[in-house]
Amino acid sequence: MADKGASLTVVPPYGHLLCADRWRESSLVQSLAAVPVKTIFDGDLTVADFHLSNRTKVLYVSECDIIAGNAYKRKLVRYRNASSSFQKLVLVEKTRLSEQYFPTVQKFVVFDLGLSLLTVGGQTEASQLISQLVQSESRENCFRARSAGRLWDPLVLSVVQQLPGVGRVKALALLKNFSSLQQICNAAPAALEPVVGQSVAEQIHGFFHKTTAGRP
Amino acid sequence: TVCILVDSRCLSSAVDLMTSLRQRHGASVHVCSLDGSYFIVSSRMAVERHSQAALAAAQNRKRLSERVSALQASFDRVCLIVERERNKTGGASRPFQPTRFYDSTVAALVSAGVRLLWSDGEEQSAALLVELARLEQRKGQGIAVPLQVKGQHRQQALQLYLSLPSINYIQALNMSHNFLSVAQLINSSVEEIQQRGRMSRSRAEEMYRFLRYSCDSFLISTPKAAKTS
Repeated sequence: MADKGASLTVVPPYGHLLCADRWRESSLVQSLAAVPVKTIFDGDLTVADFHLSNRTKVLYVSECDIIAGNAYKRKLVRYRNASSSFQKLVLVEKTRLSEQYFPTVQKFVVFDLGLSLLTVGGQTEASQLISQLVQSESRENCFRARSAGRLWDPLVLSVVQQLPGVGRVKALALLKNFSSLQQICNAAPAALEPVVGQSVAEQIHGFFHKTTAGRP
Repeated sequence: TVCILVDSRCLSSAVDLMTSLRQRHGASVHVCSLDGSYFIVSSRMAVERHSQAALAAAQNRKRLSERVSALQASFDRVCLIVERERNKTGGASRPFQPTRFYDSTVAALVSAGVRLLWSDGEEQSAALLVELARLEQRKGQGIAVPLQVKGQHRQQALQLYLSLPSINYIQALNMSHNFLSVAQLINSSVEEIQQRGRMSRSRAEEMYRFLRYSCDSFLISTPKAAKTS
């Protein structure tokens, strides 16, 4: 049991793919020979089909699995319930034969189990996709959120310009005198007046303090 | 019933989808003007539709990554519905052959935490949107705030909330309805912002710091000075 537990969390070396023994003679593994991904077979891999070096696991649901009935669902549940820090992916063969069942499979995998689902047309397509998953870790990911390092000054300026009667010139003048949104908000009309004039000073003060709540 | 917000730009490109949402699924669909053509199914989830061909086109990569990053900035969960194309006569088109570029796009999206859903057309996409909205509703994240904002002052306050960084349309609506005034929001604690804006702790913290952020007048006046010189 200890060994089994260990193999659940084995991370293969960089650029390698840990592959369950039952895939040894498959066309998927044969197609992988053509790409720069090294395959290691592991007899202990029972729940997942593949482990990728970027801490991703893959379970393969074939056309046969889908057409044969509901047994694949048990396999999926076991896969989902296996504890690990890996991201769990499910590859589903979407072919002309399995197409009609696909919405049901997708609903089960994504909505009921909360796993990520990717579609493939067959094992050759799957090997191409798996090799891209393995290689993606060495590339910079253009979809990863980058929020750090954004300068706030221009953003504060654009918020201040949303105040009534305030354009760019008055917004700059306000920030020169009060520096933050909170300081502008809490300034008395008399303090705002020398900067933006009496009428706009009252408009700004009114805008901040007039009630907005209350259900329509 | 579930509530789904739709950007007005989605209307012309998804007539069948809209019809299906309303008539077949009985969803309450509200059209508004968002900062991109996407759907909002909960206070934290945005959904965009893309065709498989669009994910496979190299010239789309930059635009797609900008769209996804923009959505990830203001939504905790971002979902893409990948739609298979239909040919003009409505029949099934040629089977899609994934290229290496397409696979690398899919791999990058998945590892960036973007949820992918697969659809054969607008009817299925409508069903998926409703399913997502239902799931979010069950998790207590559904759209429960009144969508109407009446009066000029409230409209102005909403526009100001929408201009705050990392704030989505639902959170801006929550703030419009749940704070007595703009001043009350600005002087609120992180906990109050989190609770009344119905947003995550980290988003509320960012907002708290932003409202108190002290601008360097040199930095904000520089771009204009550079332009006029």
